[in-house]
Amino acid sequence: MNSSLEIKDMTKQFQQQMILKDVSFTLNKGEILSIVGPSGSGKTTLLRILAGLETPTSGTVSISGKDVTRKKANKRNLSLVFQQPLLFPHMTVKENIRYGAKLAKKNDEDKIISLLDAIGLSSYADHYPSEISGGQQQRVALARAMATEPEVILFDEPFSSLDPQLRQGLRLWVRDFLAERAITSIFVTHDTEEAMLMGDRVALFNEGVFQQIDEPKVLHQSPANPFVANFLGGHLVLNDERYIPLPSCLLHPPESNEAHETYQGIVEHVTYQHGQTIGHVYIDTLNKKISLPIGDLSTKEELHLYLPSSQIKPFRGNHT
Amino acid sequence: MIRNKRLFYVLATLLFLLPTLILLLQSLSETWRFQTGEGLRFQLDSYSVLLSDPKLWSATGWSIGIGAGVLFINLVIGIMTGKALATLSFKGKPFVEAIILAPILIPVLAIAMGLHLFMIRIGLADTVLGVIIIHLVPTVPYSIKIFQNAYRQLGSPMLEQPLILGSNPLHQLFTIELPLMKPAIRSVTFLTIVISLSQYAITAIIGGGRIITLPMVFFPFLDTANSSIMAAFSIWFSMIPLALYVLVEILLLLLPYTIMPWRK
Repeated sequence: MNSSLEIKDMTKQFQQQMILKDVSFTLNKGEILSIVGPSGSGKTTLLRILAGLETPTSGTVSISGKDVTRKKANKRNLSLVFQQPLLFPHMTVKENIRYGAKLAKKNDEDKIISLLDAIGLSSYADHYPSEISGGQQQRVALARAMATEPEVILFDEPFSSLDPQLRQGLRLWVRDFLAERAITSIFVTHDTEEAMLMGDRVALFNEGVFQQIDEPKVLHQSPANPFVANFLGGHLVLNDERYIPLPSCLLHPPESNEAHETYQGIVEHVTYQHGQTIGHVYIDTLNKKISLPIGDLSTKEELHLYLPSSQIKPFRGNHT
Repeated sequence: MIRNKRLFYVLATLLFLLPTLILLLQSLSETWRFQTGEGLRFQLDSYSVLLSDPKLWSATGWSIGIGAGVLFINLVIGIMTGKALATLSFKGKPFVEAIILAPILIPVLAIAMGLHLFMIRIGLADTVLGVIIIHLVPTVPYSIKIFQNAYRQLGSPMLEQPLILGSNPLHQLFTIELPLMKPAIRSVTFLTIVISLSQYAITAIIGGGRIITLPMVFFPFLDTANSSIMAAFSIWFSMIPLALYVLVEILLLLLPYTIMPWRK
């Protein structure tokens, strides 16, 4: 497969602070990469540099093999969908979608109509943004980004302003939309679930570097370091070298006298998710909080966690 | 809510419509001595006195020309500086903002003589351009502030979006920024024209008696104490900002993506 987007040795420094440290990665044509990380980790800065809204301190950005590092945002063949739909309020839905296409000299009436059809808003073509709902607005924003036929589409937390139900529906819709058209895209989010849902690969970003880039399954099965394990939330990190997947933590001693470690915890809260009782447990000796199914235990109750030694795994080190 | 609306209409009628109506009636009638219980005696003499002033038409022309020039320069400087102040962050920005406001903190008359000497030296005294430039002093600070706020309200993501879609800055100005800043353009139009039109002293000093604008024709009439003529003059005076406002509205209709008033 040919590379669609390539970033090499990218650094960004604001005054004394390093926001990005030697970031490199390659995206193949049609691939979707999710970038997830805590707020302030630099992921939005990375996206803005790719879009041409900020300049990197050093490093290069190439789209389809061409170096675009010094090109301005309006000269790059990529599009960015912001957190807010940012539709132009004085233009109709159709005029909004056509805006970029006209500038890119790709203003084909049939394409605009088929895009309107794809986002299910054909009958709203002549409506103004204020006359349609938030979810519909975000769909128009996506169609507007698509209409310029960009090489790459970047998404900066595009669903975060929508309510949870709408968000869920739109995520899957966008995922299919991009996959059908084989559009290379990057999704920036702080929601791990969204990252795994949207991306072929998921990149965990923190302190200016990628902690790990892998398929969601690999990421989940073998986190590279304590940050990844903690951020994904599916593991109990024992120390900087070792962790155990939460499903392997037992609430009773292993049956066959297997070697194990025991930790004491206290149930701080109880919530109910996916039809299960989830206990939010604090383990004093590790100073860690974990969430796992706890059966019929209730708040303030103490419990023992039995960790079979065979299930405890070592971190395999940074892998990007 | 409904009560507030009614209150608004009552107050607007009392404070705005009624005085305008009285002014209009007064301009079309003999001086009204309402205390004697007499009614209005309609006449058009006040307008014929007004129109008989030989300088009226040329002064009106100068006022419109200078007003339009001042407005145009205000829009250009206001939009560029306002955008820069709203979107850029740089060292010493508060200082620059304070300096930009300085011309309205210091009375223009205080610096008019100095500016006059300067204008003589560079050959702009007694010229229209000189008058336009001096009128910029009390107007530009307001325009910059108005556009700075307008750009701040638009927000930088809205300004970045067209760029991402491939627009260049000039195309963006005409398709996105100007259409979305119409209220600011209207405010600047009215404010600038009215301020420029009201300048007597600085116009007289810099214009050197060669550039005669409406206030210069207007002031001698103040001695007449004939309220009919004064009313006629006020009506004439107020037509200029109105005419320029209508002109600006027509120009705004020409902007791309304008929703025409007759379109639903």
